[in-house]
Amino acid sequence: MNAVARKLCMLGDFGVGKTSLVARFVRSTFSEKYLTTVGVKVDSKEVALPGRTPCKLVIWDIAGRSNLDALNMTYLRGASALLLVADGTRERSLHAALNLLMQSRTLLPDAVVVLAVNKLDLVEQWEVAPASLAELRRTLPVHETSARSGEGVEAAFADIAARLTA
Amino acid sequence: MQHARPAGDGRADELPPPDDYDRLKDLLLGEEREALDAAQARIAQLDRAQRELPARLPDAIERAQQGAGAERIARALAQPVTQALGAAVRENRQVIVDVLFPVIGPAIRKAIAEALRGLVADVNSAIESSFTPRGLRWRIEAWRSGVPYAQIVIKHTLAYRIDHVFLIERDSGIVLDRESAPDLPELDGDAIAGMLTAIGDFVSDSVGRDGDNTLDSARVGEHLLWVVRGPRANLACFIHGVPPAGLHALLEQRLEEIHAQFADGADAGATDAVWRSLLRPERLTRDVRDAAPAARARPSRWPVLSILLVGLGLLAFFAVRSERWNARVDELRTRLAAHPGFVLTGIEQRGRDALTVHGLLDADAEPPDAALRGAGAEVPVKLDAVGYVSTDDAVVARRARRLLDAPAGVTIAVRDGVLSLDGRAAPAWIDAARDRAGWIAGVRGVQFGVVAETDEAAIARDKLDALARTLQTRRVGFVRDVELAPGAANVVDDIAEDVRNALSYAKTAGVGIAWIAVGTNDEPGSDEINARMRADRARWLADALVQRGVANVRIAADDDVESAQARQRGAFLRMVPREASR
Repeated sequence: MNAVARKLCMLGDFGVGKTSLVARFVRSTFSEKYLTTVGVKVDSKEVALPGRTPCKLVIWDIAGRSNLDALNMTYLRGASALLLVADGTRERSLHAALNLLMQSRTLLPDAVVVLAVNKLDLVEQWEVAPASLAELRRTLPVHETSARSGEGVEAAFADIAARLTA
Repeated sequence: MQHARPAGDGRADELPPPDDYDRLKDLLLGEEREALDAAQARIAQLDRAQRELPARLPDAIERAQQGAGAERIARALAQPVTQALGAAVRENRQVIVDVLFPVIGPAIRKAIAEALRGLVADVNSAIESSFTPRGLRWRIEAWRSGVPYAQIVIKHTLAYRIDHVFLIERDSGIVLDRESAPDLPELDGDAIAGMLTAIGDFVSDSVGRDGDNTLDSARVGEHLLWVVRGPRANLACFIHGVPPAGLHALLEQRLEEIHAQFADGADAGATDAVWRSLLRPERLTRDVRDAAPAARARPSRWPVLSILLVGLGLLAFFAVRSERWNARVDELRTRLAAHPGFVLTGIEQRGRDALTVHGLLDADAEPPDAALRGAGAEVPVKLDAVGYVSTDDAVVARRARRLLDAPAGVTIAVRDGVLSLDGRAAPAWIDAARDRAGWIAGVRGVQFGVVAETDEAAIARDKLDALARTLQTRRVGFVRDVELAPGAANVVDDIAEDVRNALSYAKTAGVGIAWIAVGTNDEPGSDEINARMRADRARWLADALVQRGVANVRIAADDDVESAQARQRGAFLRMVPREASR
């Protein structure tokens, strides 16, 4: 069965673990040096969904920053989904992710959006309060992930794939 | 175990017997002894295993490569093997070279053979195409574009291969279709298309800020990437080698056809099949090859033929014009070479319509204007002459005549440089001429034949003049027609005597004399009758003088003025002096 290809953009502040999440999820084709030169690295992975057409996620790992410039907006064009990534140990990274979401909404009003709060392996150091996450879950699908252990990573991407093919 | 009891020790009796001692040790240290024995057994086992490891390791590796463990052991060994190989190259380079030589040698030979085969094919193609219409066309292309002919040949003859063709959604970078040549390794087309789109956006954003500049092509070594852009999708073509220009045009055409299907909203399955058909590398290659002859056959031959005809016409025109011009210049050169006193040193051509003649011109020579005009009135000829002294006989004669200022009775001639002077002249002139003749430029010798004039000659000339006047007065009268008047015969006798005397004086004077019989008439009568009458009377006188020994008497012409104005019936003899030796 032919998979449906969809473009997914990773958005988040610097150092939140976007590239680590992608590396945990896919086997990269290109070097990470493109992140510092071109500002983006593209990988893909097909996600099998029970009883549905497989979804091929073309993942655009955009270099981390708290604001989107013109080039990054160009990279967002044609995206079907956004994976917002925040660092649970830094409350400010969550605010940055939500700020990026607001900026990207002007270009992608209908994109599927999922929030990944990363570094679950350091949960004892988290600044993000559980109450805040509970509040966010009312508006966004939220996944707690750990790129180091892999916990929650597959589930986050599978959630996006499922929502894209729903 | 038996323990020796020390002699003379009072406490020895207090120790338990040996069996008890062993039992006590067993009670107190039994567990430790068992652990110690187990540890010793373990150590012995490990020692044995370590000793047996070299023998068991190959079997272990072979077992590890079976099943899922193969990849794991490969990963585990990759790093140490790499480091070991590096260390071996550094420390035992010759051994590595010796080991690899049997592998590298054939590989190098094969690569060189392949390269030479390609080179020979290219050279053969170039040589075969040198004198064919295709070769001429390539030469024209090289001349027109300024690219060396060899590069044009290589461009047209080198093989190329289309590796991959991607149809990429313009905004998202998602691959809509991908076709690859067979036998190529599998690749992540979506990731490549995404990165290509991202890099295109990056390049456009970085250097193409005016919006129209995009990444259309990129080359890495022998690999070429063409990106053909459309409003909804782009075509990315990965090529190995040098493709013909027609391939790019074909890709543009295919992208237009695909966009037409976008507009039609065709079914996805149907479009996929059509795209695959349109973008298959082998079909693209075939279509480019098939389109080339059609493209070559399309242009009409008439423009080329017209250009050739015009070229040939111009060539013939210039050839004829050049031939005529050269003939004209040769004719001018011949005339100038034959002109006395002029030496031609060169003819300079200034443009196509002007000449400058360089040469040497003697001051006593005739100006060569007539010879220069012979070049044609429409061609301006400028003379650039430098003075010199000519030894041409004609010029030497002119120079002698100017320098000697010879009187009328002296003739001057030059032949082969020898100056000949003849005639009569005054003794003073003769003396001066003898001194100066040998010094005239161009004179190699002098033949002096001029005779000095004497007093007898002068007297004889005076008597001749007197006789001439006397003869004018001796008129033979006629009554009518040629009937003599009384006493006329005596007049004829007197005239004959004067003639004989005059001939004698003329010989002495050195002059010649001619005789003319002139007839006259009175006023009445028509002009025709009177003219006939004058002629008859002149002829009668001439005959009468012949009878008296005077020969060579000519009859006066009809229009003789003196004859017509006499106004009396008669005849007379006129003496006409002439140069003796000229």
